[in-house]
Amino acid sequence: MMNFMLLSATLLAIGIYGLLSKRHLVKILISIELIAMGASMNFILLASSSNIALGEAFLALAFSTDTCLTAIILALLIIAAKKYGTCDVRKLAEIAESEQGKNENGGDE
Amino acid sequence: MITELIAIGLVLSACLAIYLDEAIYSVASLACAIILLTLLYALNGASYAAVFQLALGAGTLAVLFLTGEMLSEKPNREKPLKNIIFVSILALLLSLPLIFFPITVVPANSSSSITFGNALWNLRSIDVILQGLVILTVSLGIVIILHEKERGEK
Repeated sequence: MMNFMLLSATLLAIGIYGLLSKRHLVKILISIELIAMGASMNFILLASSSNIALGEAFLALAFSTDTCLTAIILALLIIAAKKYGTCDVRKLAEIAESEQGKNENGGDE
Repeated sequence: MITELIAIGLVLSACLAIYLDEAIYSVASLACAIILLTLLYALNGASYAAVFQLALGAGTLAVLFLTGEMLSEKPNREKPLKNIIFVSILALLLSLPLIFFPITVVPANSSSSITFGNALWNLRSIDVILQGLVILTVSLGIVIILHEKERGEK
């Protein structure tokens, strides 16, 4: 039998690499999806190989939580992209820093 | 053998989903990964999980396609084919341990008599109701966030 734990660990590693190295918000969302896929796959395949139906029932709940997470991230992504005109997280961070600096300067004056 | 091929395809499409620059191609690779994962579930007897994964994956991919098309900027330069081949070979190397290090799962002594529906509705019924509340709260939260944003624009 194939080692599903290694497969899920590989997916987790690919997702974490994407999370650390990519700057585009859609790519970051895809990385989070990959991490969730790896975690749920480990759970489901171990449960099904041990013939435990409860594992699949738990996963039905985990899938809905995962979808909620995706929906929230997408809503924030659309707001950030429309407000600042970019999906690059570093540019967004720079814009936020400059806005914070302006606010502080305004407060001093 | 077919499970191993699906696993290799899964790792390959996951790598390409991260590596490719254009968001549309990344989402297409993620679609391949989700379809292969569904096949893997179905082949291993987790049919309910396969159906859930496919249904949720279809919804997520539809939204991601729209968002990717709407928000992605065209990359300045195309990635050379050499790099894509290198990433594909790297993904194949990453998937080799899956084939050469098998795992032996010890089956449970007594076959469980709990069915999926029984487990979901009788054992985890409170969880299901609370999950419904979570989904409702999240959808209301998203509506409020988008409404606040529109009001701020006006």
